[in-house]
Amino acid sequence: MTDMTADENHILRAEKITMRFGGFTALNNVSVAFPEGQLTAIIGPNGAGKSTFFNVISGAFPPSEGRIVFRGREITGTPQHRFTRLGIAKSFQITNVFPQLTALENVRFAIQCMSQRFNIWTPRNRYRVMEEQAAHLLEMVELHQHHHRLAMNLAHGEQRALEIALALACDPSLLLLDEPTAGMSPEETIVMMDLIIRLAGERTVILVEHKMKLVMGISNHLIVLHHGELLAEGTPDEVRANDEVRRVYLGQGEH
Amino acid sequence: MTLANPQEELKGSGRRLAGVVALMARHRVLAVLGFLLVFPFLLPYEALAVNILIYGLFALGFNLVFGYMGVLSFGHAAFFGLGSYATGIVIVHYGMHWFPAILVGAVAAGLGAAVIGALAIRTRGIYFAMVTLALSQCVYYLVYQLEDLSGGENGLRGVDVYDLGLPGLELTLLDPLTKYYFVFVFVALAVWLFSRILASPFGAVLEALRENEDRARACGTNVALSKWLAFVISGLFCGLAGSLNAIHLTIVPIESLHYHTSGLAVMMSLLGGMGTFFGPFVGALTFLVLEDVITLVTVHWQLFVGALFVFFILFLPRGIWGSFLRWASR
Amino acid sequence: MIGGFPIELLALQLFTGLALGSVFVLLAVGLSLIFGLLTVVNFAHGAFYMLGAYAGVFFIGYLGNFWLTLAVVPFAVGAVGLGVERWLVRPLYGRGIDYPLMLTFGLAYILVEVVRILFGAEGMPFDAPDALMGAVNIGVGYFPAYRLFVIAATAVLVVALWLFLEKTSYGLVIRAGARDSEIVRVLGIDISLVWLVVFGLGTAVAGLAGVLSAPMRSVFPDMGTTVLVEAFVVTVVGGMGSLAGAVVAGLLVGVVVSMTSLFAPAMAEVSMFALMALVLLVRPQGLFGKKGLMG
Repeated sequence: MTDMTADENHILRAEKITMRFGGFTALNNVSVAFPEGQLTAIIGPNGAGKSTFFNVISGAFPPSEGRIVFRGREITGTPQHRFTRLGIAKSFQITNVFPQLTALENVRFAIQCMSQRFNIWTPRNRYRVMEEQAAHLLEMVELHQHHHRLAMNLAHGEQRALEIALALACDPSLLLLDEPTAGMSPEETIVMMDLIIRLAGERTVILVEHKMKLVMGISNHLIVLHHGELLAEGTPDEVRANDEVRRVYLGQGEH
Repeated sequence: MTLANPQEELKGSGRRLAGVVALMARHRVLAVLGFLLVFPFLLPYEALAVNILIYGLFALGFNLVFGYMGVLSFGHAAFFGLGSYATGIVIVHYGMHWFPAILVGAVAAGLGAAVIGALAIRTRGIYFAMVTLALSQCVYYLVYQLEDLSGGENGLRGVDVYDLGLPGLELTLLDPLTKYYFVFVFVALAVWLFSRILASPFGAVLEALRENEDRARACGTNVALSKWLAFVISGLFCGLAGSLNAIHLTIVPIESLHYHTSGLAVMMSLLGGMGTFFGPFVGALTFLVLEDVITLVTVHWQLFVGALFVFFILFLPRGIWGSFLRWASR
Repeated sequence: MIGGFPIELLALQLFTGLALGSVFVLLAVGLSLIFGLLTVVNFAHGAFYMLGAYAGVFFIGYLGNFWLTLAVVPFAVGAVGLGVERWLVRPLYGRGIDYPLMLTFGLAYILVEVVRILFGAEGMPFDAPDALMGAVNIGVGYFPAYRLFVIAATAVLVVALWLFLEKTSYGLVIRAGARDSEIVRVLGIDISLVWLVVFGLGTAVAGLAGVLSAPMRSVFPDMGTTVLVEAFVVTVVGGMGSLAGAVVAGLLVGVVVSMTSLFAPAMAEVSMFALMALVLLVRPQGLFGKKGLMG
């Protein structure tokens, strides 16, 4: 177990998280601390509880038991819409954009959410800054040629990139990504991984990934879940050397 | 819900018709008001023309929640009716001047929307339509019971505003054309305000909620509060429509609170094209003209109301204006 | 004496409420059944109820026998429901939940107007059978025999429906379909047939409610208008898609309305909405509703 008192080094701490759905325990007493400024990957075989854990730490639903602490402040049960203002943003496992808005409108909305929540008066196009910021973010995720295309008409990989841009709109210090390469072609996956590495240079990234191989090379820190419990954690090398992990994960054949 | 998005649909089309439509979309307030300004001369039957103005405004307000935010309410009769009754009551019982009386009507409807909205927002999806319908019907029974104020079953009579009492102007609502332009002034103001709200950042929130509620929440939108605010704004517009209707009819029929009146708003939005700016007025015009013509021939107009509903949902879900936009931008 | 009323009167009023509530139960069960499976809120449910009453008027004139009529009406109304699902509702699956809702709302106009054309706008008499005329002593006083029958008939029907859903293989398919239609499809069962049958069943129960309440409430084309609202209130109170919720909430609403009409007659209609508002505040998913169904 990581040292729980080393607060200044950890941006997010999950303490004794238990999640039950009816009679089913999806997470059992999981405690994890996420080091600041690093790329942490949560891995584990199917049904390990990765998505549930992701949903709990990203505030989609509160845990049955346990606490979530962000920068020393407890955020368990904080409504989802407050997370962006804390500086925590997330992307969904299933592509989740605004299909009938253009790429630019998608991102501009996300930026607008930071400052103009209930402004019913000023015309939107007065806020040139928002539009410029949106264009900048689209460039960052390499969608600068698609400003005026409807999100629904973008390719799958482009939609996922757009979602990352949406998440970046609040300039998060913590970025949570749920299987960002799900359903992507090998080429798209490479582009996405490049993007994630770039993003991780400037902020803390926590990433859920099913494919272990994919994250081994890029993450600084790994967390392995199995049957809803914390199986191992450490650097990629430590995890690779862990017998337990080899048994339950690698033993099933390479993913 | 699939909706017509004029900006997008027009993209890449160099056709002249598309150009005209794009121009109309850019100057949507002027386009609506220009048409309504000359409308009484196109339809030389002013009482019907006034109805179209009022119900167009009602459908416009309703469309904020239904068309733009994508939430179906069956309770908007409450706001139309509350606007009517509040205006009527302060005029009949307290002899208030028509101008503050209209404001009172809109505010009363807004308060009603605040209460009904706060309760209904606690539910999601399909419940919303049921809960709003039930709560608006509760308002119906309450007003029905307050016979001393509301006139009960017979409705509120004697909302007689004839002389406008504007200094230097001798205007009387007994003149149908004067009445049309009297109502027009309020509708024009409302249409301009409405367009402004749609263009605001909050307008983007509405679209985002329609498109993807979960994503909007993750972006930092307080979904419940935003929905509630939209509901209240929508209620204000529908209340204004109701206030004007009280002055127009000089009575407030109890039916204005019945959920069938909510059905009218749904119907007109659907006919015209939900989520389009011109749709509500196109819908109100089509519906009321059809009603006028068909009731001359048969007493079974309701049969046509039902048939129109079914036909548009099955075959023309984008409505007249929405389908036209699509056709114009082929 | 409670609140100035003798205990016997209150007990009788309680039974009146149960009879009223029984009709609510039947309406809500049908509505809930259809919603649970098809995620369609049938806004024509009140119209099907009205259709049941008019079918009753028609068949009793034709058959001359109340019991036979009672048996035939659900099939007649259910047949209309089958047609509606097949030709009107089915094309709308996959187009969002609001479309079938609006369509059935429009359909109600058509059904009401057709009945008005066929039977006239005036109300119609519909008498309870001779065997159920008069009153029965139920210990606390005399209670109309017919209303007692309605309570009993509802109880029998609810138990039968429960047995059908819980104990038969077809009921199992329906329950599985309500959870996940994909599973049913994978099992090789034609889910669209299940939807068809359930819509027919739901409307048939609404029709039965109509004919049962015909001797208690009068028969007229708009009789379904207020009933639709009552059914919605019960469904919201009980929780959508729950049989137990429909039963408990139906009876509860019936009793609340009937008791309020004793203590504060002017507030009788409003009382059920007050109850609904309370439930929305305390437990928005309804007394027996699951959180998941709210979406």
